[in-house]
Amino acid sequence: MSATGSQREAYQPPAAGSSGMGRSYVPAPAGTMFYLCAECGVKVGINKGEPIRCKECGHRILYKQRTTRMVQFEAR
Amino acid sequence: MTVRHPGGSASFEILGEDHTLGNALRYIIMKNPEVEFCGYSIPHPSEEKMNIRIQIYPEYWEHTKPYDALMKGLDDLADLCDHITHAFKEARDNFVEPGDNSEQR
Amino acid sequence: MPAASNRRNIVGVKAETVTNVSSTDFPGHWPGEDHSWNIKHFRRTFRVKFFRNTPLFSQFDLIHTDAAIANTLRRIMIAEVPTLAIESVYVSNNTSIIQDEVLAHRLGLIPLCGDKDALKGLSWYLRGEDSAPREPTDEDTVVLYLKKACERNPDAKKTDTDPDKLYINHNVYASDILFEPAGRQIKSFAHDPVRAANPDILIAKLRPGQEIDLTMHCIKGIGQDHAKFSPVATASYRLLPDIKIKKPIRGKAAERFAACFPKGVIAIRERKDGEKEAVVDNVRNDTVSREVLRHDEFKGIVELGRVRDHFIFSVESTGQFDADEIFLSAVGTLKAKTINLKRDIYKMLRKQALDARRAREAENPDADEEGDAMDTQ
Repeated sequence: MSATGSQREAYQPPAAGSSGMGRSYVPAPAGTMFYLCAECGVKVGINKGEPIRCKECGHRILYKQRTTRMVQFEAR
Repeated sequence: MTVRHPGGSASFEILGEDHTLGNALRYIIMKNPEVEFCGYSIPHPSEEKMNIRIQIYPEYWEHTKPYDALMKGLDDLADLCDHITHAFKEARDNFVEPGDNSEQR
Repeated sequence: MPAASNRRNIVGVKAETVTNVSSTDFPGHWPGEDHSWNIKHFRRTFRVKFFRNTPLFSQFDLIHTDAAIANTLRRIMIAEVPTLAIESVYVSNNTSIIQDEVLAHRLGLIPLCGDKDALKGLSWYLRGEDSAPREPTDEDTVVLYLKKACERNPDAKKTDTDPDKLYINHNVYASDILFEPAGRQIKSFAHDPVRAANPDILIAKLRPGQEIDLTMHCIKGIGQDHAKFSPVATASYRLLPDIKIKKPIRGKAAERFAACFPKGVIAIRERKDGEKEAVVDNVRNDTVSREVLRHDEFKGIVELGRVRDHFIFSVESTGQFDADEIFLSAVGTLKAKTINLKRDIYKMLRKQALDARRAREAENPDADEEGDAMDTQ
C-alpha cells in the first residue's frame, strides 16, 4: 500500500505504454473486463495489469457486473 | 395402506391423507349402527400418515369386518358428495343476485 | 320434552362458557332414535341457500350437515383444489434493487387467470428424477415473459420531481407479464390468454439504466404444496347465530337491548298498545359478542347460541376460478378421494388374500384347491 500511497493524492490518467505498476506492457483488447464505478456509475474497461481505478473519476472501488448467464430461481 | 385387525376391530394406516379425509370419514363411519367405535389420529404432523380405528359391535362380527365398515363409509361419503353437488348446483342456478345494498359477510 | 329436542342443535354461548358443543346425531346416543347414515334422509333435510354469488365472492349456507363435512370441504378448497401459478423464474437480467430470489418469490404469488377450461385441461408437471428431469411440454407448462427497462424521459422539465414525469417504465406491473402460448395452447387460450388476474399489482420499481428481463414457467399445483397454488383468498364458515328472548323486552329496555347487538340484529316493533318491544330481526348480522350478557337487567331473559348444523360459508376466489366452481371442485375432490381409497383397499385385501394362500400352500403343499376360497381375514 505504501508504494501506491502517493498516487492517492492526485490522479494521473494512465498514459499509453505505462501502467500504475510502473512496468510497461502491451494491452490485450480481447481480455478487457468491464466493471462499474462505485462512485460515478460509469462502465470501466480494464485490461490485465491495469490499475483498479475508474477512468472518469479515479475512484478505486469498482463493482463486478451482473452475470450475462441466465439464472434459475424457484418462485417459492 | 396397511391394516391390523384381530376379529372385529382394526386400525388402518392411510398414507397421504390428513384431517381433511380423516374427520369426514370418522363422522360417516360413526353413523354406521354396526360400528361400536371409530376414531382417527395423525400420529405425527410431519409424517403423511393417518390412522383410523374401527371397532364393530361383537354381535355383527360374523358378517361385518372392519374393512366392510370402512368401505361402506367411503361409499356413503361418495353419495353425500353427489347430493351436495346436486343441491348446490340447484340452489346456485335458482339464485338471483340481490341489489348491492345487501353486503352481509 | 319436545322443546329440548328442538334446541338439540343449538350450541349455548354463555358469558364465560360454551355448552352443548358436540354433535350427538350418532346411532346409540339417543335411546329409541335412529341416527344411522341414510342418504334418503340426507336428501330430504340437507339444504343449500345462496346469499351472494359473484365470480370473486360467494356466500351460501349449508344447512343440516355436520362440521366434519363442512370443515373437510373448507380444507379442500384451501389446500387441494389445483390452480396454475408461476413455479420457475429464469432471470436473464435483473439490475433492479429487488434481489432475484425476492423477485421470483413475488412473481410466484401473483394470481393468474385465463381460459378456465384450458386451465382445467392442463396436466400435472412431473419433475422426474434428478438424473433424468422431464422436459416441460405444452400440456403441463405455461411460459410467461417479463421484460422492462427504465430510461429517463427526454421530455421531462428540469423542475420536475415526480418520478412519473422524470422516467419512463419506472414501475413494473403484473400487466407487463406477457404470455407466450406454445403448441396446443395457441388454440386453447386463443380468446382468453393467461395473464395476471389483477393487472395493477406492482412487482418492482426501476430507475434509469435498470432492467428486468426474465422468463417464467407456470405449472399446476395445490395449496398443500405452496400457498400460491391456493385458489381462494379466504374460504371460511361460521355457525348461524341464535338469539332466544325468553321474556318480552319492552319500552326503554328494548332500545338498550338492541344497542347490545350490531345493527339490524334486533328490531323494535310497536305493539298494539303503543309500547315498544324488542324482536330478533336478522341473526346473520350478529357477531355473538356476548355484550348483552354483561348487563344485569337481561340476565336470564336472553339466551345466545349458534346453530350447530347451519354453516354460513364465504368463499373468496383469487381470480383463477369462480368462487362457486371452487366449492364444486372441492366436493368433486372429496369424492375422488373416496374412490381412490376404495381402490387401494381392494388392492390391499387382494394382496392379503394372496399372501394367506401362499402361506397355507407352503404349509400344506397338497391342498391347492382349498386356496380358492378368498379368506381375507
